[in-house]
Amino acid sequence: MNTLFQILLSITLLSLNDNGEVEFNRDIRPIISQKCLKCHGLDESNRKGKLRLDDREHALKGGRSGKSAIDVGKPDSSELYLRLISSIESEQMPPPSSKITLTHAEKEKIKKWIESGANYETHWAFRPVHKPAIPKVKDNAWPSNEIDFFVLSKLEKEKLSYSPPADKYSLIRRVYLDLLGYPPSPLEVDAFISDNREQAYIELIDKILQSTHYGERWARKWMDLARYADTNGYEKDRYRSIWPWRDWLIKSINSDMPFNDFTVKQLAGDLLTNPTSDDIVATGFHRNTMLNEEGGIDPLEYRYYSMVDRVATTGVTWLGLTFGCAQCHTHKYDPITQKDFYGLMAFLNNTSEVDFEVPQPVITEKREKIKNDSSKLKGQLLGMYLKHHKVDNSADVDLFINKKLESWMEIKRKTIGNWATIVPVEMSSNLPKLTLQNDGSVLASGDITKQDFYEVSFRTDLKNIFAIKLEALPDSSLPGGGPGLCYYEGPKGDFFLSNFEVIDQNGKKKFSDAKESYFKNNFGGNPASAKQAIDDDLQTGWSCAGRYGEKHEAIFVLDSQNELSPEFKIRMTFGRHYACPLGKFRVSVSQFPYGLPSNMDTDVQKLLFKSISKMNSSEKQKMVDALLFDAPELKTLVDEIIRLNKSLPANEKTLVFRERPSDNKRITFLHNRGEYLQPKEEIQPEIPSFLPKIPEGVIKDRLAFANWIVSDKNPLTVRVFVNRNWQTFFGRGIVKTTEDFGVQGDFPSHPELLDWLSVYFVENNWSMKKLHRKIVSSATYKQSSLKTFSSDNDNVFLSRGPRVRMEAEMIRDSVLKSCGLLSAKIGGPSVYPPQPQGVTSEGTYGGFNWKPSEGEDRYRRAIYTFSKRTAPYAMFNTFDAPSGEFCMVRREVSNTPLQALTLLNDIVIIEASQGFARTIIANQKSFNENLSFVFRSILTRPPSEQEIVLLTNFYNATLNDLKQIPDSISKITGSIQQKSTEQAVWALLIRSLLNLDEALVKR
Amino acid sequence: MNVSRRWFLKDCAQGIGKMALGCLLSGYANASVSTKKPPFKAKAKNVIHLFMAGAPSQLDLFDYKPQLTMIEGKPIPPSVIGNQRYAFIRSDAAVLGPRFKFSKHGGSGIEIADTLPWLGKIADEICVIKSMRTDQFNHAPAQIFFNTGFQQPGRPSMGSWVVYGLGCETQNLPAFVVMSTGSGISGGSACWSSGFLPGVHTGVRLRNQGDPILNISSPAGITPNLQRSSLDLIRNLNNMGNQHHGDSEIQTRIDQYEMAFRLQSSAPELMDLKSESKHILDLYGCDPDKPSFSRACLLARRMIERGVRFINIYHEGWDAHSNVEGNCRSNCKITDQASSALVMDLKQRGMLDDTLVIWGGEFGRTPMVETSQALGRSLGRDHHPQAFSIWMAGGGVKQGATYGETDELGFHIVKNPVHVRDLHATILHLLGFDHETFSYNLQGLDFKLTGVEHASVINGILS
Repeated sequence: MNTLFQILLSITLLSLNDNGEVEFNRDIRPIISQKCLKCHGLDESNRKGKLRLDDREHALKGGRSGKSAIDVGKPDSSELYLRLISSIESEQMPPPSSKITLTHAEKEKIKKWIESGANYETHWAFRPVHKPAIPKVKDNAWPSNEIDFFVLSKLEKEKLSYSPPADKYSLIRRVYLDLLGYPPSPLEVDAFISDNREQAYIELIDKILQSTHYGERWARKWMDLARYADTNGYEKDRYRSIWPWRDWLIKSINSDMPFNDFTVKQLAGDLLTNPTSDDIVATGFHRNTMLNEEGGIDPLEYRYYSMVDRVATTGVTWLGLTFGCAQCHTHKYDPITQKDFYGLMAFLNNTSEVDFEVPQPVITEKREKIKNDSSKLKGQLLGMYLKHHKVDNSADVDLFINKKLESWMEIKRKTIGNWATIVPVEMSSNLPKLTLQNDGSVLASGDITKQDFYEVSFRTDLKNIFAIKLEALPDSSLPGGGPGLCYYEGPKGDFFLSNFEVIDQNGKKKFSDAKESYFKNNFGGNPASAKQAIDDDLQTGWSCAGRYGEKHEAIFVLDSQNELSPEFKIRMTFGRHYACPLGKFRVSVSQFPYGLPSNMDTDVQKLLFKSISKMNSSEKQKMVDALLFDAPELKTLVDEIIRLNKSLPANEKTLVFRERPSDNKRITFLHNRGEYLQPKEEIQPEIPSFLPKIPEGVIKDRLAFANWIVSDKNPLTVRVFVNRNWQTFFGRGIVKTTEDFGVQGDFPSHPELLDWLSVYFVENNWSMKKLHRKIVSSATYKQSSLKTFSSDNDNVFLSRGPRVRMEAEMIRDSVLKSCGLLSAKIGGPSVYPPQPQGVTSEGTYGGFNWKPSEGEDRYRRAIYTFSKRTAPYAMFNTFDAPSGEFCMVRREVSNTPLQALTLLNDIVIIEASQGFARTIIANQKSFNENLSFVFRSILTRPPSEQEIVLLTNFYNATLNDLKQIPDSISKITGSIQQKSTEQAVWALLIRSLLNLDEALVKR
Repeated sequence: MNVSRRWFLKDCAQGIGKMALGCLLSGYANASVSTKKPPFKAKAKNVIHLFMAGAPSQLDLFDYKPQLTMIEGKPIPPSVIGNQRYAFIRSDAAVLGPRFKFSKHGGSGIEIADTLPWLGKIADEICVIKSMRTDQFNHAPAQIFFNTGFQQPGRPSMGSWVVYGLGCETQNLPAFVVMSTGSGISGGSACWSSGFLPGVHTGVRLRNQGDPILNISSPAGITPNLQRSSLDLIRNLNNMGNQHHGDSEIQTRIDQYEMAFRLQSSAPELMDLKSESKHILDLYGCDPDKPSFSRACLLARRMIERGVRFINIYHEGWDAHSNVEGNCRSNCKITDQASSALVMDLKQRGMLDDTLVIWGGEFGRTPMVETSQALGRSLGRDHHPQAFSIWMAGGGVKQGATYGETDELGFHIVKNPVHVRDLHATILHLLGFDHETFSYNLQGLDFKLTGVEHASVINGILS
């Protein structure tokens, strides 16, 4: 009897599992992890006494003392247990100085665990996902679907009861907010309320899931993880164009793209076979990192920080692991080594970060039309030319043109000069990769620094070289189309040639002159001419700001005193306070007399020295075109053609990844203490050893990594994703620590449910819509959220429906939707809804001018609001929305007076209530009808008798008050013309309703 | 002591937001607990941080180096420079001598440039640290580092840590207020963000244009009476919901609305300088109707009087890549009088003892000159993270003292280096915290203002 009592007592005390056994993952791991691993974990640098307790083998082996920490089955001779209960201070563990203590119950658990064999288990989250059996429950009437069996089984075990179903008003409001992000209209509500069929609710869900606004609601969730913003962050925080990625998200979620594809495309869409432009746009996920454009930064340092962020974000987003800690040191709790961190980085590191032009049908069409117009005009040139010169006999045309061309070429030969392209025999640089092109030009790619140099060697038989020409060439692979490689701080495509040196066997050659086709300095009013590239001052140089995507030429005239040897090299130094080497260039040489630098097409320049009779037809056509374009008598028409060509609308650009070529892979290093300036050994791409491997034979690149993330071997991705979705609906994840599935994270409240949902999700082709449909059709979800029904304070066991303060975006969208102002337009560049003056300009670098959008764009959904990292949209900031500076898994939910001030006084709320009041007056309905409509638009349900009394009293009293202050009326209605006192009262009443707790909470 | 510390840490780790019980901006409204005692004996209760963004030139203001004049025009030996990366200049740039005459001030004889005449008057109140150093050499990361202990956005700022730990003493104003003058701040809002601490600990901007606090004014046409009757309606309807739902969050929201209403009157009262006498306005050099650094300093004193815990005043404009002399002159003109007046004023009211005033930027400036024809710059100085100067006053800091020394070129520290982390540790110490144990548990890690690297309290500057 006594023994039985003791057993019973210990079961209650220890809350062990149903069979009264200790479960390592549930009972023991949290104790060891929180109280022991800081000093006895994987992290060698912090390990005390060389003892590891994070796995059984090491614990049995013991530490420095050589004594095993655990004597299996015998706690009384196990050092681990004895230290816990020791009364001698110097022997106690954890040491008293650590201030960490174990409760009596915890010590008892350890004792029982050692008694029962001291078995370790793989951490629950790292174990494979298996579909558990649906548990048996006593009350079979309640469950609507599988979810409910898991939930009810737990409730029954905890001796808790579920809540009654929510009323239909609450339910339709809840499901609208969850799936679409705003409440239903009174009409939609009426339809649902009056539909008494059993399937009415599921039909409603299916209808909602078809809405194109579903994608907007759920894309925003994903953007928190992706740290989306419309600016680059840091000091300058300039505009960036990455909204096409946001639109891709909305589109993909609306089309219910399977989450595995959704993942692979975002991590490695560019590496898929024949990627579509959408697949490439998708890689913008990891381009949402910040870009530091402050003058004088080291660009590679900030690229490194972006890489660190990418690894950490990938870890949290897909794997639910805090890899970030392992940047500097091996993880203290999870089995993640510092090497693992850089192994993951190596998968993602071999990328170029480029702009991608997103082909848009509208733009393509416009471009085609303009090109067509331009070529039509071009087709008229010859006719006009002939007409001008009165050549009307077709037999004479050829002869005439040849004659004209001959004399034109004669003149041009003198000014352009005869330049011979020379091809490098050897090329080197400090870092950028130089590649020789078929046309003798050199293309640079890869990483750049603030002081790059190129050395290009030549061997030529040409004698008496008098001048050297450097062509700075555009290329579509270059930022801004080139010719430079600048991508931050300065304009894209900028270059700054600070030094141009020619060295042969006799040493550095002297120059007598330098000229250029064009020059302009991007910063400061001082010139930046070719002469400044030969003045030996590295602070000055040649630059061609303002005309990117064009060819420019500089010629350097050698001092005639000594001849250039047949072998020589050119050394070019680039850069200023930002990195800006040339992206593409070509070198040619000339004897005396040399010509002048020119914008003329290089092919045409060469053809000047070819006899017309030897030209093929396309060469000839090129020359005739050049002649016509240069003819003063055609100037008006030519100018028009040039104008048209310049007016071609550009496609929108978005930031993407592009894999670096195999001959120029970026090497990943382990960085000591995580510091950029301390790279150590080279690291190969590798999955951390505690996770399943990438199959043998697969090349370990970004695509392999993406495929691994969503492979059925990886137990984390699907659990993490399902759990995060669950959190969105219920306000709390099955694993509360949605961001941490490691050993420090919380144990799931319903582990079997999590696994069942995970398998269900994968079995249903990773369909997010099906997952959501399953969740919202459960009886668990449909419960009333009234606290009075349940004693489960934090609702861990789901004994009632969710009650969560709405997110910032949902609040704005709901206000606008309720008041009839919300625009239904999907996608496009971000917009500027009004906000208090000065938010983006006062105290922010550069004083960004927030010019409020007009018309429809004033009332777009929150997801389209321009997001400036250093000065976020004030209302969203006040309601805990992230700034896009780092990956945000779980938003905080605060409740502050600043929120009250925003909802009472902010222009968005004011405009919405004014707009709604206008509608009410225009509707010309009775007071009661109006009151009901207003109330139901905002709060979904009809008002109670008591509420009607309060609101009516407010209406009448305010009507009287306003009569005393007639000047206020048009201010309150928001229009000088609208002086209806009733309208002003409605505006005030609506504003009050928008401020109710009920209007701000999903419940 | 141990017991209270243990209790404190436990509370830190678990009670998100609970630390700030009763604060106006906290999610928890309990008027009976308005402030939190620190675990150790504190000398300072409040902080006013005058952040000189852009980085003032220590060589032209505090750290007098006649040797620079002697070798002006010559480069610094590469052995001195080492591998230091620079933002704009090349490391072979020539040396530039100090641009101002320096004089000794007060009984303590602290050497200060003549362009800071007002500071000279309070020389015996301040402690100049000439041996500050930082890890960062670009503005945004260095400013974020100085204010949060980490070079990228995302960590809690000093002010957030302090109000997280100490709560505040007013129900009518925010606990942590941020003001700014001059040009835009490179580090942006990350400098006063609460990071991973509850958002209620974020610094609240007190603005120069429009509403001092966003949406503090009722909308056009809405009189205080109308605002009150609307609030009453909201409260009554919320109360009904509360009775039905039994949810404490509804009660919290009701309380927040009442606090918002109070804030609508306490903020204008704070901003209204009519009650300040003329000689006080003159002392600060302040036009009561115009936003300025002077007015911000005066408002800071008023806020401390009203129970605000931590005040940041950012003055951005010290980034003297060109004409460091003119830059110092104009920025000293803007900040010198008011900064010194603030110390005097706090002192004469007996408030300096428990208010810590900090004045300084994110890094220093090079002994080498910055000249760039391409950028049109001359006689400037580039960024210098190895050594810079700041001053502190009040709140348990030594009076009339200097601390630390640099070499004769002002390039490296040769005595008593003070890393930004050490300064953080010292500030926390003065407020009654041990920087090693004042932490916040996030994902299993104990995050601290001073981070993971070593930091120590600078005993040499404590009074």
